[in-house]
Amino acid sequence: MDIKNISQKILLSIVLLLLVTAQLFAQKVVRYDLYVKDTLVNYAGKEKRAIAVNGQIPMPTLTFTEGDTAEIVVHNQLKESTSLHWHGVFLPNKEDGVPFLTQMPIKPGTTYTYRFPIIQNGTHWYHSHSGLQEQIGMYGNFVMKKRESDKTFRKGIDDLPTVPIILSEWTNLNPNNINRMLHNANDWAAIKKNATQSYAEAIRAGKFKTKLTNEWKRMLAMDVSDVYYDKILINGNNITDLHTVDGKKLKAGDKVRLRVSNGGASSYFWLRYAGGIITVVASDGNDVTPVEVDRLIIAVSETYDIVVTIPNEGVGYEFLATTEDRTQSASVFIGDGIKQLISPLPKLKYFEGMQMMNDMMKMNGDLDDMGMKMSLNQMDMNVVMYPEITGENRQNSNHSNHDIMKIEENSNKYNANALGDITTLNYTMLAAPQSTTLPKEAPVKEMKFTLTGNMNRYVWSMDNKILSEIDKIPVKKGEILRITIYNNSMMRHPMHLHGFDFRIINQHGEKSPLKNVMDIMPMETNTIEFLANEEGDWFFHCHILYHMMAGMNKVFAVDDYQNPYLPNKAKAYKMLQRESNMSHFMGQNDFSTNGNDGEAMLQNARWSLGTEWRLGYGSMHGYEVETHLGRYIGKMQWFMPFVGFDYRYRKMGMDEHEKNIFGQENKKDSRSAVSLGFMYTLPMLVNFQAEVYHDGIVRLSLMREDIPISKRLRAGFMANTDLEYMADLSYILNKNMAIRTHYDSDMGLGIGLRINY
Amino acid sequence: MKSISRILMVITILLSSINNFAQIKNLKTETVKIYGNCGMCKTTIEKAGNVKNVATVEWNKDTKMATLSYDDKKTTPNEILKRIALSGYDSDKFLAPNDTYAKLPECCQYNRDLKPIAKSNTTSMDMKNEHVNHNHHEMSKTNTSKDQNVTPLKAVLESYFAVKDALVKTDAATASIKATELEKAIKAVEMTKLSTEEHNVWMKIMKNLTANTEKIAVFKDVAKQRETFALLSKDMYELAKVSKQETPVYYQHCPMYNGKGANWLSKEAAVKNPYYGSQMLTCGSVQETIK
Repeated sequence: MDIKNISQKILLSIVLLLLVTAQLFAQKVVRYDLYVKDTLVNYAGKEKRAIAVNGQIPMPTLTFTEGDTAEIVVHNQLKESTSLHWHGVFLPNKEDGVPFLTQMPIKPGTTYTYRFPIIQNGTHWYHSHSGLQEQIGMYGNFVMKKRESDKTFRKGIDDLPTVPIILSEWTNLNPNNINRMLHNANDWAAIKKNATQSYAEAIRAGKFKTKLTNEWKRMLAMDVSDVYYDKILINGNNITDLHTVDGKKLKAGDKVRLRVSNGGASSYFWLRYAGGIITVVASDGNDVTPVEVDRLIIAVSETYDIVVTIPNEGVGYEFLATTEDRTQSASVFIGDGIKQLISPLPKLKYFEGMQMMNDMMKMNGDLDDMGMKMSLNQMDMNVVMYPEITGENRQNSNHSNHDIMKIEENSNKYNANALGDITTLNYTMLAAPQSTTLPKEAPVKEMKFTLTGNMNRYVWSMDNKILSEIDKIPVKKGEILRITIYNNSMMRHPMHLHGFDFRIINQHGEKSPLKNVMDIMPMETNTIEFLANEEGDWFFHCHILYHMMAGMNKVFAVDDYQNPYLPNKAKAYKMLQRESNMSHFMGQNDFSTNGNDGEAMLQNARWSLGTEWRLGYGSMHGYEVETHLGRYIGKMQWFMPFVGFDYRYRKMGMDEHEKNIFGQENKKDSRSAVSLGFMYTLPMLVNFQAEVYHDGIVRLSLMREDIPISKRLRAGFMANTDLEYMADLSYILNKNMAIRTHYDSDMGLGIGLRINY
Repeated sequence: MKSISRILMVITILLSSINNFAQIKNLKTETVKIYGNCGMCKTTIEKAGNVKNVATVEWNKDTKMATLSYDDKKTTPNEILKRIALSGYDSDKFLAPNDTYAKLPECCQYNRDLKPIAKSNTTSMDMKNEHVNHNHHEMSKTNTSKDQNVTPLKAVLESYFAVKDALVKTDAATASIKATELEKAIKAVEMTKLSTEEHNVWMKIMKNLTANTEKIAVFKDVAKQRETFALLSKDMYELAKVSKQETPVYYQHCPMYNGKGANWLSKEAAVKNPYYGSQMLTCGSVQETIK
């Protein structure tokens, strides 16, 4: 017995020893258990639904060292399915976390394990890739440490105390509702941001002509971002104090490395520091040659590693993250003591921006760069709106007009670093410390993508095709993909590639930096390239959540990958396509003293099913319903042919125009008619509609809705060849309500409350 | 129609009465010190701190004490003091941003006793230089051997950059002052601490370097300063090439200047042309990165 016992003990200890050594010499498995659960939070004055993981927002920071194996167990305790994507991480395709592309969604109540070796280092993050879950809490830091024995280990940088930082935004609105409102061109966000750019505001700013030109070119109010947020969060808080790092108190002269990830769903952030310059040492997890700047903008889903220094004892220096629209910010005070503030960024000069858009936009909706070859964020058209660079007001700088003229000739009008004292980071300043060239012998596949979209209907695409209209792009394993991207849309887009880092070709040649997100501004042309050496279906998309959901995605299929989690890949891809072109509903009704006036619409990227009604309170006023099913044509979607059905009932009397201007007569009190027609958006955003009914009657009409008179006042009109006309004026109370008065040729003057959804 | 106008009237009356009767609820008061000088400061401080029905601030310019009255449920003294600091005024909790303070009217430029840096009027540019020096100081702890070689020439280069920055801004007066500083820095170089390579170059260029620097200091005309600066930059380039730099120095070239072009050195990769200033600020390109 004794002997047996001893031998057992020995055996046990040997096994233990083996296990330990295995951990030491081979890969160490680092396991995290993530419990995903619904929760209620109060970030901005109201209790709202959010998703917490392990009881916290943001999700916990996951830390690994290069060489580890990650084992992440997701326990889905939600009532809906979920997924987790490891942003910027190299891994087998089946672990990439895109539902219907690399796995099936994680069903409610189930557990799912992601397991992959950590074969790189750097600052990354992770987030849900299901629906809009990323907006309400499902984002977190994902840090992979460099081993000290690594030959790229940089003394003085890689050994600094580090703090993971994840930026995000919070809105009290349900993100599904935000998505719907964006598609319906609801301008409530602009009202909240004070960025309506109405005619009254234009006149006050002396920019009436600018506004007029803007509408002539069929543009709505311009902005740098589309969603209004109630709070900005850094690691889940609006204001944080950072007194110690790794248990050590911060003192004068200390340097801190901040690993900053932008986990916001749709916000770019300006990063600035009250304690002096910022040294950028890495981007998207890849080292760059240190570069000193005064500020940088971090695109949605980008990461930057930055080093800041604490100049003095007894002061906490503000590190401020401000949204690109400058309405909101969050701060961390680095160091213990009295708080040294940094001045907030001054408000944007929207009318200057509008002027700039007018100059760039051709009548057909294409952008015109006027011969400036724009790339790599060097020329930021938005600088015309930045008071800190281009001055508070243009009129004030009359005495230096001479200089401005010369600058314009030199086409430096938009180069922020040339115009002011402030140094802003751009992609030309990023250089890899080592050569990043790709193997010379590999075959190269060249591609050109044009980013397209239109603001009016919030459709975003590549080459004017949304994901549901395209197949996967076949790529052979071992090929180099060199993609030239041109942004012909009015918004900037952070384009993200799953599974690979790409080189952004800049003037550093073989030391062109490696990234996995590239921000591309309107009118810019940039080239990226990467070696497709990992098989699988890899997503390439705009990381603005609401652009992604609108279909601004492509898939690279590297070889014919057999994904064990996706037995039926074709069917799964159909599901993915369907999810990226969901239809959205919009409805409104005016409860007025003279009747009910309203419409309801169900739309997706291309199709529109809409019905309008005018219901009087008596048969004399009549009842009228018009229904149209149409398809939007063209990039700008100004043209929509449709089939229609009209029904009308009224007792003649009050208004007896039974003849239209073409002399066609229609005497029936009760009328049902089928029609064919089209709608076209004219300059000044006036909709021209032409219809022919089955009985030969022709109707032409002109209408315009939502003319922004002042911040909250809107006007509209309609006139048609049946000699019907209408004019209205409404005052917006909140996102769902307005007081409206209108005069209608059928129903007379009315005042009422308009409810819209 | 009549009823509508009546309804409207009732609504207006109701709305206005809300305004009239409203006042700060859950009232709490606190007295804190806010740094400032004069009556003008008082107006700015109070305007920045006040929020209708939420907070009122009363500041006494003699005692520098402010009474904060606020709605305990809606705000905190910190929020009020932060707003005041953002308008330019320090308190025990917050230091105003440097640029905001600098923009205060002269009479309001109070003494910033709380700010650790002695020079309270430092502009952001000066801050930056200090910061760089500071970094440098930090580095010297770790890389002592290398650093001993760098220090004497580092000061020369830094002063050279200051002259360049002044020329970028087409500011002859500052350029002249900075050139005087450069002169001092040149004289302060201890040749025994230079490496052999550095020493050789130094001996070759020192005479021209000093002469040209003196000229820039004397000239009042920026055009002449720029002409001399082109010569000065040639020598500085040779010096920079042999001396060890912690941060890269960029050798930049403007193809247009004087018909045949001219070069200069910069700490930033972004081109800011010292020969033309704002006329053609980014004309030029990086020729070489010296590390």
